Amino acid sequence: MAALLDVRDLGIAFPAPNGMVKVVDRVSWRLDAGQTLGIVGESGSGKSLTGLALLRLLPATARLDPASRIRYRDSDLLDLSEADMRSRRGSGLAMIFQEPMASLHPLLTVGRQVVESIRRHTDCSNGEARLKAAALFDEAGLPDPGRIGRRYPHELSGGQQQRVMIAMALAGSPDILVADEPTTALDTTVQAQILDLLRSLQAMRGLAMVFISHDLAVVTSMAHKIMVLRSGQVVESGSTGAVLSAPESAYTQGLVAARRRLGVRTQATVPSRVMEPECALELRDLCVDYPGRGPFAQPVRAVERASLTLSAGRALGLVGESGSGKSTIGKAIVGLARPTSGELTLFGRPLADDGWRLSRSMRRRCQIVLQNPYGALNPRLTIEQALIEPFVTLGLNPPNGRRSRIVAGLEEVGLDAGFLDRFPHQLSGGQRQRVCIARALMSEPGLLICDEIVSALDASIQFQVLDLLNRMRAARGLALLFIGHDLEVIRYIADDIAVMHRGTIVERACADDVLDAPQHPHSRALIAAMPRLDDAAPSEPDDGWRAQHRSA
Amino acid sequence: MVTLLATVLIHIARAALLVFGVTVLVFILVRAIPGDAVDVLAIEGGLTESQAEAMRAGLGLTASWLDQFTAWCLGALRGELGESLRFHVPVADLLLQAIPVTLALGAASLATGFVLAVAVALIATLRPRSMVASLVDILNIWSIAIPTFCAGLVAILVFSLWLGWLPVLGNFLVPVIILGLDAAGQIVKPLHEEMKELGTAVYIRTARAKGLHPLKIVVGHILPAAAPVLLAMTGLVAASFIGGALTMEVLFGLPGVGSLAFNAVNGRDYPLIQAVVLFLAVAVILINALTDLAQRLVDPRPEG
Amino acid sequence: MSTHDHEATQSGYPGPGRPAIERETGGRARRLPFSLLFGLAIVALFVIAALFGPMLDGQDPFSQDLLNRNQSPSLAHWAGTDNFGRDVLSRLLYGARLTLIVGVGGVICALIVGAGMSLTALAIGPWLAAAVFGFIDFIRALPGVLLALILIVALGAGLSSVVIALGIAFSPFFAYIARAAWRREMAADYVTAARTLGASRLRILYRHAMPNIGGALITLAAVILPRCIVTESVLSFLGLGVSPDTPTWGRMIADAVPLVERAPHAVLVPVFCLSLLTLALALLGNHVRAAVDPLRAGDPSGRQRW
Repeated sequence: MAALLDVRDLGIAFPAPNGMVKVVDRVSWRLDAGQTLGIVGESGSGKSLTGLALLRLLPATARLDPASRIRYRDSDLLDLSEADMRSRRGSGLAMIFQEPMASLHPLLTVGRQVVESIRRHTDCSNGEARLKAAALFDEAGLPDPGRIGRRYPHELSGGQQQRVMIAMALAGSPDILVADEPTTALDTTVQAQILDLLRSLQAMRGLAMVFISHDLAVVTSMAHKIMVLRSGQVVESGSTGAVLSAPESAYTQGLVAARRRLGVRTQATVPSRVMEPECALELRDLCVDYPGRGPFAQPVRAVERASLTLSAGRALGLVGESGSGKSTIGKAIVGLARPTSGELTLFGRPLADDGWRLSRSMRRRCQIVLQNPYGALNPRLTIEQALIEPFVTLGLNPPNGRRSRIVAGLEEVGLDAGFLDRFPHQLSGGQRQRVCIARALMSEPGLLICDEIVSALDASIQFQVLDLLNRMRAARGLALLFIGHDLEVIRYIADDIAVMHRGTIVERACADDVLDAPQHPHSRALIAAMPRLDDAAPSEPDDGWRAQHRSA
Repeated sequence: MVTLLATVLIHIARAALLVFGVTVLVFILVRAIPGDAVDVLAIEGGLTESQAEAMRAGLGLTASWLDQFTAWCLGALRGELGESLRFHVPVADLLLQAIPVTLALGAASLATGFVLAVAVALIATLRPRSMVASLVDILNIWSIAIPTFCAGLVAILVFSLWLGWLPVLGNFLVPVIILGLDAAGQIVKPLHEEMKELGTAVYIRTARAKGLHPLKIVVGHILPAAAPVLLAMTGLVAASFIGGALTMEVLFGLPGVGSLAFNAVNGRDYPLIQAVVLFLAVAVILINALTDLAQRLVDPRPEG
Repeated sequence: MSTHDHEATQSGYPGPGRPAIERETGGRARRLPFSLLFGLAIVALFVIAALFGPMLDGQDPFSQDLLNRNQSPSLAHWAGTDNFGRDVLSRLLYGARLTLIVGVGGVICALIVGAGMSLTALAIGPWLAAAVFGFIDFIRALPGVLLALILIVALGAGLSSVVIALGIAFSPFFAYIARAAWRREMAADYVTAARTLGASRLRILYRHAMPNIGGALITLAAVILPRCIVTESVLSFLGLGVSPDTPTWGRMIADAVPLVERAPHAVLVPVFCLSLLTLALALLGNHVRAAVDPLRAGDPSGRQRW
């Protein structure tokens, strides 16, 4: 039986100062009707470009290997004229993207965007197209499908935006849906809903799907077959069950192991060095408001009566979805947000006494690492210049001189003096985050707040950063407030967990209790939505695909 | 609804404050100018010292600045802008005669520039390697490098004096073309850059993934997304025309507000200067407010 | 600015999940484009003319020769003579000096008044910034030419009052750009990080924000310079520039306009020079912008194929 989509020797390269750089190298696979192929890989693996190449939407500078073939039904997509290819886009192959907010036109109503897609592919009047759009919105599980079309993208939630994208992709009744990290930007519970929607749509419509993600657990829950990409090359492919149970390449084994290891607690790593551990942080009924938009708008309450304690050497995981107020708590502690009421005590000193401002000595003891390592370092300063900043602004004078302290700090986070003269753009994301951690640790703080510090990093790098933090904690008795949305990550590092929902802390207990026996309904929902490796993969008879592609 | 009304009221209050501030500013500046209208008349008409003093008293120029200012403000609130010191007719009449000329010149030039800029930017985005695409830079460089009054002078020289095609003064078409090209050059470059950048936006990739025709993507997706920039630039150019038309009016002898302002400043005609400045300030503030409003209409997202 | 700085802005921030390869597209051919060479050559020519012209030419720009009025270009007077029989070329060379002084001076003045005032106010506190920008809004509500016109009349004609008037008239541009850049910087994560490290607003200004704000200001200065020169000539043309016996190009044009039928060269030559200089400055300005701010300059490789 001929496959629906047959990709052979797909190669993509970009021109660089010294010759072409291959980013996808001779990748081949087949996709049958109704099947899902999962493409897994870390950033730079070429997985997204592979998806874009299917619709011929690669950036203008990309060059295709002349040997590449993408056979869809009875034609090679790469041989088609641009006009013929346009008629396949949306009706033969459709695509949804990572960031639904950025993928929808911000100034057009969502209804108009879907109607446009319908009218492109079917011959119908505007009124008919509107009815069809409402039906699609309904199918995509959007509330009030008859009227939601009048809304603009910014008026919808992230999950709703992605549902609109899905409705739009379905408008041309495609055979194949290419989903490029469709849930990466979404909260875990929303992710689970979108994945459910995609699965049911696939079953109802007999869609074939190419599902691209960095998250092995998500992919395995969706795909019949998996292809693992690394640096543009296929390192492993086969049916999902086979790849998971017996990964052949060391890289895949590492990925699977990392994922499984994340799921395990590592509590024993931290000895309690102090008999009576000092209380590093205490919140009591803390409330934080943000000013509303406009001169007369009511302030918006971000945190509502939050109470927490954290003692030296302990790690507290603060979990919640976006907008739950978890980052605001972190900001309030380091003085980036001003509490409205309540008590915030750092190392026994109530912050309210100082007008909610951290004194210089308190700043030394209390530091934060921010989420985005790409933005947290000034692109115009070298690593050395960036690391000198805390000495200047906090007035630190280490005994052996600043430079030796900086080198020691870099070594502590697994980097060396060779990085001193580099600029941030010459570093990878993981290296930048290490520099940020080193910068925050320069003043030897007793409390470190980590605001989603690993969510922008690849899974294998996440792991290294988390281990690094655990080592610091053990070595210095550092108190860690670890803010995040990924329960697997939190489970790996935290002794205790606090779950936040709409500004309030709904549950707070030791990590195992929260994860194994969640009390609050929201905690239960969060845990249920967690993608797991052992989720039963969609079963599909092994059709020799694996053997065939091993040899390729 | 209440907050909307409040926001509008705040905007109006701000605008009123702005108008008042500008009035004060100009009042002081104008009074700081050495010599007054009587001096100018004295030089021209050979008045004796005592005649001049009598004239000053008659015109209210001997009163203190504060009294003059209060008197003027009270008059302006009643809609009386005073009488021109030199032409001895109500300033409002002079202004009312001049405004239509300036408005026609400005509107015609702005429309020309707007249409030209949008057309060129559209084609240049659609066909980046075509001849039209290079028009973007040519127009832009033209608008920066060729001052409108230089272009006006050369045009007068070539068309009127050498070719004898057009009457030298009072012509309307040439200044419109010159100002229109200038406006187009100022608008087209930022518009095209924005459209080029938007062409790489993720949601434009979505539009391509839908299988839409490039023309439809450029007209239906990229241009609306670039509308805020287009409106902002058009507003800036419109505001600059209020002053930029001045040279064209003087050069081509058009009896607009610019010519009036020029004569008023040269003749130290205080009430006329005050009135012209008041009109220009209100016009600029109105244009800014309209630009703001239009931008809010095309972009439904909240600010920030 | 070092080459490192250059690369830093050029590569931007490759976000997570984006292929690393996008970082490699920054390599550019090092051949100098024609427009850059042309702009440099013309500007250099005028600068040399401004510095040494009056010496090289040997003619006195002020000596009148009433027997040889309004002569067409000849060997004795390469660019002809004006209504007083003065040599147009030597007046032009002398005028180049004045024109450049006024242009550059006006930009520097605008930079000091606009950017200096607004950045100081922003660094000191939001309350002061609101007051300063309230005042700048007043200035902006008047058309630039009219404001400069009134200021010059108030200050009295002369070189310094023209420079000050131009500076004040163009200062709002610098103030708004400075504020926009400041806000963008203050929203950057690395500024947040600096705040948590206890950096003061002043330190954030000069350590973090200034390099990027400086780029934006240099770009704007390059764009404003030709506009400043043009505005000066407009003012002179309206009879309100420097004093009548100082031959800036605008003044020469204005003086020659009434006699344009008899001596068109006396108008055309300064008009041509003025346009050539502003053209060259505009071309250079584009390159300055591309060098300082390569992300906005529009890299040809980023174009979409349709």
